[in-house]
Amino acid sequence: MPAIETRDLQRVFTGDVVAVAGVDLTIERGEIYAFLGPNGAGKTTMVRMLTTLLRPTGGSASVAGHDVVTEAGDVRRAIGVALQEAALDPLMTGRELIQLQATLHGLPGDEGRSRAERLLAWIGLANAADRRVGTYSVGMRRRLDLASALVHEPNILFLDEPTTGLDPVSRKAIWEEVDKLNREGTTVFLTTEYLEEADQLADRVGIIDDGRIVAEGTPAALKAEVGKPHLEVVLADGTMERAEEILRRFGNPLPSKDGAALVELEHGAAGVAPVVRALDDAGLAVESLDLVRPTLDDVFVAKTGYHLEGSDEETSVPEASEN
Amino acid sequence: MTGGLATNLRVVGALGRRAVRQTFRRPQLMAPILIFPTLLLAIQVGGAGRAVDLPQFPEVNGFLDFMIAGAMVQATMLAGNSGGIALALDIEMGFTDRLLAAPISRFAIVLGRLVGTAALGAATAVWFLAIALIFGAQIEGGVGGALLIVLLVTLCAVAFGSIGSAIALRSGSASVVQGLFPLVFVILFLSTAFFPESLLLEPARSVAEWNPLSFIIDGVRDLVISTFTGTQFVEGLAALALLAALGLGLSAAAMRGRLQRG
Amino acid sequence: MSLAADLATIRALMRRALNEILRVPGAAIPGVLAPTIFFLGLTAVFGNLTLLPGFTSDSYQSFLIPVSLMQGAGFTGAATGVNLARDIEQGWFDRLLASPSPRPVLLAGLVASASLRSLIPATVLLIVGFSLGVHWPGPGGLAIALLVTMGMAIVAAAWGTTVALKFKTQSASPLMQAGILLVILTTTAYAPLELLTGWLQEVARYNPVTQIVDAARQGFVGDVTWAETWPGLVALIGLATLLLALALRGMRRTAD
Repeated sequence: MPAIETRDLQRVFTGDVVAVAGVDLTIERGEIYAFLGPNGAGKTTMVRMLTTLLRPTGGSASVAGHDVVTEAGDVRRAIGVALQEAALDPLMTGRELIQLQATLHGLPGDEGRSRAERLLAWIGLANAADRRVGTYSVGMRRRLDLASALVHEPNILFLDEPTTGLDPVSRKAIWEEVDKLNREGTTVFLTTEYLEEADQLADRVGIIDDGRIVAEGTPAALKAEVGKPHLEVVLADGTMERAEEILRRFGNPLPSKDGAALVELEHGAAGVAPVVRALDDAGLAVESLDLVRPTLDDVFVAKTGYHLEGSDEETSVPEASEN
Repeated sequence: MTGGLATNLRVVGALGRRAVRQTFRRPQLMAPILIFPTLLLAIQVGGAGRAVDLPQFPEVNGFLDFMIAGAMVQATMLAGNSGGIALALDIEMGFTDRLLAAPISRFAIVLGRLVGTAALGAATAVWFLAIALIFGAQIEGGVGGALLIVLLVTLCAVAFGSIGSAIALRSGSASVVQGLFPLVFVILFLSTAFFPESLLLEPARSVAEWNPLSFIIDGVRDLVISTFTGTQFVEGLAALALLAALGLGLSAAAMRGRLQRG
Repeated sequence: MSLAADLATIRALMRRALNEILRVPGAAIPGVLAPTIFFLGLTAVFGNLTLLPGFTSDSYQSFLIPVSLMQGAGFTGAATGVNLARDIEQGWFDRLLASPSPRPVLLAGLVASASLRSLIPATVLLIVGFSLGVHWPGPGGLAIALLVTMGMAIVAAAWGTTVALKFKTQSASPLMQAGILLVILTTTAYAPLELLTGWLQEVARYNPVTQIVDAARQGFVGDVTWAETWPGLVALIGLATLLLALALRGMRRTAD
């Protein structure tokens, strides 16, 4: 039985705003599945429907084998949720928050307390556990949110943009934690607008745009669909023709760019060494040689015609890392 | 004065129009200023209306006739508070800085805001006069009296507006001005807003005796419940002048302080 | 969820509601003092209404204090709604909704804290009132007054919750506060029923909150009798049931 399954799932808001226009999904147990798409694509709406916070206006969905509308209580028992706004009460301490979450899930007092201790240690917040959440950095709050989603040891975890606004170090930390959970058997459904996140974490990626899935598959398969890696070679003396002649032997030539000769490499990195040897044998001095792989952004552009927002991660402002 | 009279008058006019637009374009802001005192008026007239039977109660056609003045002044206090909040928001937003950088009189900024509050005051007076007439009160002062009421209430709004502006300029914070909202009711309790002075209990009675609000309210009330009595009107006007002078003085001082602090 | 788990949830939500008072210094003071300040003001202004023939008490303070108790309960309950609106806006409420806690349990948690918190302004009010000569209602009268206060707080909290769930924004706060105030003042708040005039007398006659005010007024004015008590209790239970049902429906509809 799949962990998450949807059939033509739809959500239309008042004013005929179509947020989700009919989505079919089948996510198996133990998968990490990422919904990748720009702001407004419908990612959050999907998560809210799957976590019973929003009623679908069409189609159906089941999580952990239970229908999200008619068996909402059973769904809620089986899932852990960490939503976009990291909904935390600034007046509570970290420990109090996890304990409250434990209570909401019906765990008896001592059980809740001991799990809170374990989770706080696991997530690295043991020292800050008795400080008010209002004093936590963004990274700490996200980690606390993640920890609280796990207090009842759910089989399925929903993460809505788990690392938005975090600095790269905190981001990697969350990825490691999610990966660890997944290896222990937790199914993870996450939404993100970061290519790298989808690429690194997910077993499968669903690219969503305008309320529909426009492409779905493993990151490698999606990228392979769009193209093969290519080599960009710039010769020291700037002569492109001789380089192009040689490169042609190793794959399809591509239009040159900025003085570099381009060739598609069928087998990616494995094909680099022969090219280098051939250039060397011909006595050509190479100034630069770059192996460029297609990215999920290339996939996105191929499917939608425009670049994914946030694909340029260098422009995001990093948060101060926690102490 | 910076900029010359003509320029400043134009500026005051422009700012005034803006203030008026801001007030009347967002009815949900204006509603509490009119609706709340009106509801309270209705409830108090219904609840305490038999007081007119008490021997110490002044000669009136009805309790509503007595209460209208207090409701009007209450509304102008709320209007002044609201004008102060709007000015504080302008300061928080930086709009005021833009005005201060222009070659116009510093005071034109405050006066412009007060024009808006004055318009609100006039609207308040008209509203409550209409309410009064619809629900059976009689304006003993006649048409002339009604016009004088509009004048007094408009000036009242300006006076309270200037106090609100002073607080806004001093604190630069809308939430501070908003926090003073409950004070309006406390001051009203300690005046002749809701009951005649002779029937108030201590300590309200003693405070009401010299509370400038009492004089203002009695001035307006006199025009409703009796034919024009010069003394009440003049006393009311004098109290208004006092409050306005206080408010404008404090505003000027607060403005100077703000400019010095930079 | 088991009963023990539900009770634990209610307790936890009530504890959280107390944080606002305990952990934010000064936040609670306006709500706690406001009813007392209005009590003092209104008694100073309208105190001499007791001179009217037919007024049921010679002490306006004793007459008014149950109204002020209701006002305090009303503000406390409305504050529950304001806090919920804020929690909805900030996403905290999603945390509660995504958990398997049954909706009635969540509602009970929200509303129960209001009834306990209403005792704080009530205590201040009673201390001030008694020191100014309010008539001692006897243990029975006092118990009924406090019970009614707590009940009214639940009614107000249910109203605030309903409004918060409908509009999902803190700018609906004035509606929460004004609504409750209106319903409390259109009763025998200022004077006994026979001395009210015009439309207010008619409204007060049929307003169920009048029964509630009159029930709380026992002992402060007149004797404590079962005949005066039961209509207020019925009105309280009826209003609470109605508003809690509306609030629950609102809670169930958040996913729509």
